[in-house]
Amino acid sequence: MTEKTFFQIGQRPQEVTLPVSGSEPLDRRRLPFTRRHLLKWRSRLNPKTLRQERILADKKPLWWAIALVFLALSAPFLSNSALTVVSIFCIFSAINVLWTLIIGTAGIFSLATLAVVGIGAYCSAALNVYLGLPWPLMFLAGGLSGLVAGGLLALPSTRLDGLYYALLTMGVAEICRVFVQLLKPLTPCNGSINNVIGFIPRDWVLQRPGLLLGFAGAFVLLLLSLLVFRIVNSERLGMLLQTAREDEDFAQAAGIDYRKARMQVFLISSAGLGVIGAFYAQYYGSISPAIFSLDQLMLLFAMIVIGGLGRAEGAVIGTAIVVLIDKGLLDLGPLRILLVAAIMLLVTLWTNNGIAGAREQFRSWRRRKQSEARARRTEKGGDVMPEEAIEIHDKQAIYYRRFDKRLRDHLKTLITPEMIAEHHRSPLGQHSDGLSRVLNYFRRGDVTDKYAIIRQSGGQFHAYKIVAFSGVRGAPPRLVDDRIHEGINEAYHAVFLLRVNDLMES
Amino acid sequence: MDLSILLVYGLSLAAIYGLMAIGISLLWSSIGMINMAHGASFAVSGYAAWAVSTAAKPLILAAFGKTLSGTIVMAGLCLSTGALSGAIMGGLIYLLAFLPIHDKPNFAVRSLIVTLAINMASVQALLWAFGPKQKSLPKIFGMGKIEFLGLSVRYDQLGTIIGTTVILGLLLFWLKVSRKGLEIRAMMQSPEGAVLSAISVRWTALPVTMLTGALAGLAAVLLSQTIFVSPTSGAVPLIKGLTIALLGGLGSVPGAVAGAVIIGFLEAIIGAVPFLGQRYVLFGTFLFIITILIIRPRGIGGLLDKARK
Repeated sequence: MTEKTFFQIGQRPQEVTLPVSGSEPLDRRRLPFTRRHLLKWRSRLNPKTLRQERILADKKPLWWAIALVFLALSAPFLSNSALTVVSIFCIFSAINVLWTLIIGTAGIFSLATLAVVGIGAYCSAALNVYLGLPWPLMFLAGGLSGLVAGGLLALPSTRLDGLYYALLTMGVAEICRVFVQLLKPLTPCNGSINNVIGFIPRDWVLQRPGLLLGFAGAFVLLLLSLLVFRIVNSERLGMLLQTAREDEDFAQAAGIDYRKARMQVFLISSAGLGVIGAFYAQYYGSISPAIFSLDQLMLLFAMIVIGGLGRAEGAVIGTAIVVLIDKGLLDLGPLRILLVAAIMLLVTLWTNNGIAGAREQFRSWRRRKQSEARARRTEKGGDVMPEEAIEIHDKQAIYYRRFDKRLRDHLKTLITPEMIAEHHRSPLGQHSDGLSRVLNYFRRGDVTDKYAIIRQSGGQFHAYKIVAFSGVRGAPPRLVDDRIHEGINEAYHAVFLLRVNDLMES
Repeated sequence: MDLSILLVYGLSLAAIYGLMAIGISLLWSSIGMINMAHGASFAVSGYAAWAVSTAAKPLILAAFGKTLSGTIVMAGLCLSTGALSGAIMGGLIYLLAFLPIHDKPNFAVRSLIVTLAINMASVQALLWAFGPKQKSLPKIFGMGKIEFLGLSVRYDQLGTIIGTTVILGLLLFWLKVSRKGLEIRAMMQSPEGAVLSAISVRWTALPVTMLTGALAGLAAVLLSQTIFVSPTSGAVPLIKGLTIALLGGLGSVPGAVAGAVIIGFLEAIIGAVPFLGQRYVLFGTFLFIITILIIRPRGIGGLLDKARK
């Protein structure tokens, strides 16, 4: 059998497909201990080639894997300063991914993210410096303190709603900053805790191996936070909350305790943020009250806003953009923040949900434009609209109607008063080219509503009336009008005029 | 500390916070926008007043000399420049944060983000243009103290209190009697109802944004009698204004006034108590506001079912 090639039209050629051999059983391996598959392969029959094939229905994991592997592999070749920027990107992405969990999945508009990170960092750093806690236990301490802080923050979230809670949490960050600065033991070093002994050995700090180790830690942190996001957002808790997001009353009626689910998500992400705080203190070897500052919070907010609220890829993309501008282009000075603000402004004005939602928005815009253009092209009784087309099983009919529409459009241009006069002169016999084309089209018409001439009985010999067939067997034709035409040629011409009228109106 | 000084200090703080909070509250209740660029309006008008006053100083000195009329002209110039530039900032906010997105989905959050971006951008632009050095405005109320009913009051404090009272009185009067004020109040009560009564959302939002911007500008000129003008000087009044608007209940003008008076006196008292002092002022006020909000989630003046969603 010869292989048929098709023109590369549409998006199908870009699909990732695998051929399926009919003799081998389908291999659907699951991730160990779960019921999940690694990639979303879907089998289907290709109606054109008539072969079975497997299509990758969700290509996002592929992009994630490519991006993360690229990030990990490129790190050893980066300069020291670039390595620092990339590590900061990883840490902030991890924070933003967990924040996305709070804002997007749980739907709690909390701005106390950095406050929780700072609390985790301060608690673990204080335990490390003053009580000599070894660094692996710092993560536990950070997580626990983050959990406690999250629990305290979660209490008012059930009473206050939306913006009230957002502004309240902004105040919490301010309180933390002032509180830390007022602490008596920390006053000598302006509220910061220094000399944290973390996972980077003392003599590696700010050296190449230390930076590489720091990057490795930050990268692992990012992977872990993405894992937490995946587990919370796409599994049971996330599903419950998605129902609540769409309709709270319905969720409640369906027996979903969405408040409890929200609290759980909030607590999980707060604990995660505490762990990130412990990492933050170890990475820098110190922690200062600047982490609670409003500017830092605004920058973080700019990141998730530019990327798109509520999506992990949005959090990472936004962080990449802002960190690159803020830390990568240091010689621009205050222009950097202006640039970030301008991007934030443009993204918010033009897109509905950040850069991550831009593709979807573009597609819906394009669909709208396409359907508008189709509506312009299509007049009544003409082309088949796509909505209608999926319900017509015989696709030949769709093409016939399109052809018919074009033919009619052409015939309409042929009809002139001269042509009508020509038909009036001689309804039968040899005709000009245009008239014979029009008449041929009329002869080919459906039986339904086809006109016929009926001779009047009862004394009127040359009297004719015009009827239209019903198209249904057994149902008699109906009279079109009461006019009586004298002579068969008059009747022929009357039928012709009726059909021309129908054609022009269609 | 003397109780009378406390009273006057508290009142003058309350006056300036009230100007900021009412602006934020009015904007939220009439067009549903949390204006995070209010602090930017504040800082920009402070700089505009500073620039105009330094430019006009030699002229006024030449024309009037160091006389009372010279001070009055300077005061008028400063206040009008502040109000005008605040109104222009308000117009800018209207053009960027309201007009393009007011009929798009998710307007409340998106306008908050846009105004936040305007805030960041204008703070950085000021920092870029004028540098981080603080500027001081001319003393438009002159220097000195007067004895008033047994209270010793500094001129600038007295000017601030009286000026704010007059401005707020005029504002409330205008809202009460004018046609535009009626439209704004209709928007505050029910946006849908106002639209059904043929009130244009766009043409009501423009005067509201400009007016609240002008209020921020006036607050900037008045507050700059006690503190200096700097690029980030808008941040603290913004946070204070926002939290007071929240405390009073967003959308409630009497609530905002009450909140401003409470917070003004609370700050004065915390600052005066010996073992607390100025360092605990922010801490104490925030704790107070959080406690009140947990008890009354819609603030002092806000009713749960009447608040704008």
